[in-house]
Amino acid sequence: MNRNKLIEVLISNLTNAVVHQILELAIDKQEISEVYNKEFKNSWEIAKRYREKINPVNKSLPARDIEEINRKVINRVKTELKLRIEKGYENIDISLVPEFVEKSLKELKVV
Amino acid sequence: MDQIYIPKNRTGFFSGDYVLIQPIESKLKGRLEEKKDKTRLYFYGVKALEPIKLRVIEEISSLISREANPENIIITGSFLEQGFNFNDLDILIINKQKINTQRIRSKIENLTGIKTHIIMLDKKTLISGMSSDPLYTLMLSRCMSKNRLIFKVERKINYKLLDLHLLKSKTLIDNFSILSGNEKYYLILNMVSILLFIQNKKLSKEIVNKEIEKIFCVKISEIRANLITKKDFIEKYKEIYNKTFNLILKNVKTGK
Repeated sequence: MNRNKLIEVLISNLTNAVVHQILELAIDKQEISEVYNKEFKNSWEIAKRYREKINPVNKSLPARDIEEINRKVINRVKTELKLRIEKGYENIDISLVPEFVEKSLKELKVV
Repeated sequence: MDQIYIPKNRTGFFSGDYVLIQPIESKLKGRLEEKKDKTRLYFYGVKALEPIKLRVIEEISSLISREANPENIIITGSFLEQGFNFNDLDILIINKQKINTQRIRSKIENLTGIKTHIIMLDKKTLISGMSSDPLYTLMLSRCMSKNRLIFKVERKINYKLLDLHLLKSKTLIDNFSILSGNEKYYLILNMVSILLFIQNKKLSKEIVNKEIEKIFCVKISEIRANLITKKDFIEKYKEIYNKTFNLILKNVKTGK
């Protein structure tokens, strides 16, 4: 798999992970919240697996990659969340997206 | 002519083997009954199982019982499929109090050499999962358990939960060319079982597999072998994904 494709999979799974995190905050039932948390871990683990295949592994990626990943993840997460808000899914705080994405990118050593 | 019934899934002897039938003494009878109680397993949706696998499951069941004596032990997943093409051993341990599953997992892996996943949950969570989560229903449609399972659970559709599960299947649209056949199969299975669950249809691995083959006009073996072509497949996949997603979002208001 070439580097661009690896970055694409990373973006896709990171998007899922962040969407899960934000939806988790939007629900109040503990039982459901626990499942969301478990699913977040799944997507997160896959994202981590792919990050480990993208060089440089132990330091941050080049600036243009960071910019692309950051922009794409934020856009995709917002799109996913907006779809739900439009259909009446309440308590989703879309303003949290950039903060959550930045935190995730730091943890994955993308930034 | 008198008849003797023996379990179809058994260890020890095979069809065509010669056996000796004779009455046993009461002391021995008591011991045998005690042993039978300890090792009796209940089969759900498992038509046939290789004797060696049955022996492994019996060993695992007694190991877990010795270590923690939980309320129930459920074995499920690819290990119960015919043949030896399984990925791992999936075990559900049902108990009210928490159990050190890490230690049990490591003992099972040492005993069998098979990668093991253990999920620990209480009976209430299991019942709640069976009523609201299609993956639980699917998982338990083929399983073996130490104690009898009750499947008469009223289906309660939780759309927020289904929304979460369906999101996973979106990965296939974005990453078709890089996912393996088994990963693709899992994501398709996930999506189609959610759709059938919403439509209040019966769920089992066989039913979902048949539905997948019907919708996508491909064989499950072709999906697992990664032989499907993107062009033919992805359009239909998107259609089913959107249909399922819209059905969920139509009902996913607060409280549902």
